[in-house]
Amino acid sequence: MKLKIGIYWGAACGGCDVAILDTHEKLLEIADMADIYLWPVAMDFKYSDVRAMKDGFLDVALFSGGVRNSENEEIAKLLRKKAKVMIALGACAQLGGVPGLANMYTREDILKRVYLESESTTNPGGVLPLESARADGHDLDLPRLYNAVKTLEQVVDVDYTIPGCPPASLQIYSALGLIADDMLPKKGSVIGAGDRALCDECPRKKGEKTITKIYRTHEKLPDAETCFLEQGFICLGVATRSGCGSRCIKSWTPCRGCYGPLDDVADQGIKMLTALASVIEPKEEKDINAVLDQVIDPVRTFNRFGLAASMLRRRRT
Amino acid sequence: MKRIAIDPITRLEGHGKIMIFLNEEGKVDNAFLQIPELRGFEKFVEGLPIEEVPRVVTRICGV
Repeated sequence: MKLKIGIYWGAACGGCDVAILDTHEKLLEIADMADIYLWPVAMDFKYSDVRAMKDGFLDVALFSGGVRNSENEEIAKLLRKKAKVMIALGACAQLGGVPGLANMYTREDILKRVYLESESTTNPGGVLPLESARADGHDLDLPRLYNAVKTLEQVVDVDYTIPGCPPASLQIYSALGLIADDMLPKKGSVIGAGDRALCDECPRKKGEKTITKIYRTHEKLPDAETCFLEQGFICLGVATRSGCGSRCIKSWTPCRGCYGPLDDVADQGIKMLTALASVIEPKEEKDINAVLDQVIDPVRTFNRFGLAASMLRRRRT
Repeated sequence: MKRIAIDPITRLEGHGKIMIFLNEEGKVDNAFLQIPELRGFEKFVEGLPIEEVPRVVTRICGV
């Protein structure tokens, strides 16, 4: 029997949807194994269609994007009710992703910058988005922008996670195959990814790490063969799940951690910080700190994709 | 007055909703395009090391 699936996006960029499309001719196999009942980027279904479904009607909901506003949360809860299996698709649904970096600021900071201060905005009346407003005699409403980005798991029960920003297309395809073949592992598992650190599949040569200086990418040309971290470039491979195919590394670009933490790691950023501290050459605290101080943007470096899921989580005031 | 909601608008990157208000004769009195999403890249790229910006802003739109 064909699977019934719904694909949705919260605070996302659409890259996960494109990763599904990037399965190319395998998309035809996906179409053979599943009927799609919601997919805003590609098909014309409305929320009213989803509300009209019986509970549990969908076999699977694939939810990409974080939960940034009340609409994202409402649809996440709606899909949770309508789907037997809820899958967090991609780094934003799993960890908040890049949009989760907004958690460094308050809602008010963001609204002010975007609608009042940005160089490309003309807004002499100082108009800000309102949850409800009256325009030309008509009542209009907008979702409530939350104070912080939440992960999908922070608002609904999530059965499985397909990590990545974006998830590698073939990994999505193989994860859908697990569903179609009824081969899903135990609830809560990460699917469509490896179970080792990215370092284990990285093609670069690894030796003893003794870091004395941290480099920004424009400060030194990395050699072609050696581990980025050994050369002093921050690379999150050691704290990141494998499964991406080392695509950034192969493009001469150090990892920023989009595949998220391994199992049993509570905080990817802290894991990376711990790993980094252990390979600093100086051994005196003062000298270690002098090296670590060269990381110019630690929050957004170590938590590039995971801030909303991290212990730092969000700015409070 | 009758309201028609096209929610969500589809087959594009991003979130949108169209509200159409009809008058007594059933003709369109007014229509509003609403964008119910905001992520705030304008704010959270501030202070980001310049070499990291391309890796962040590519997540504005992945389509």
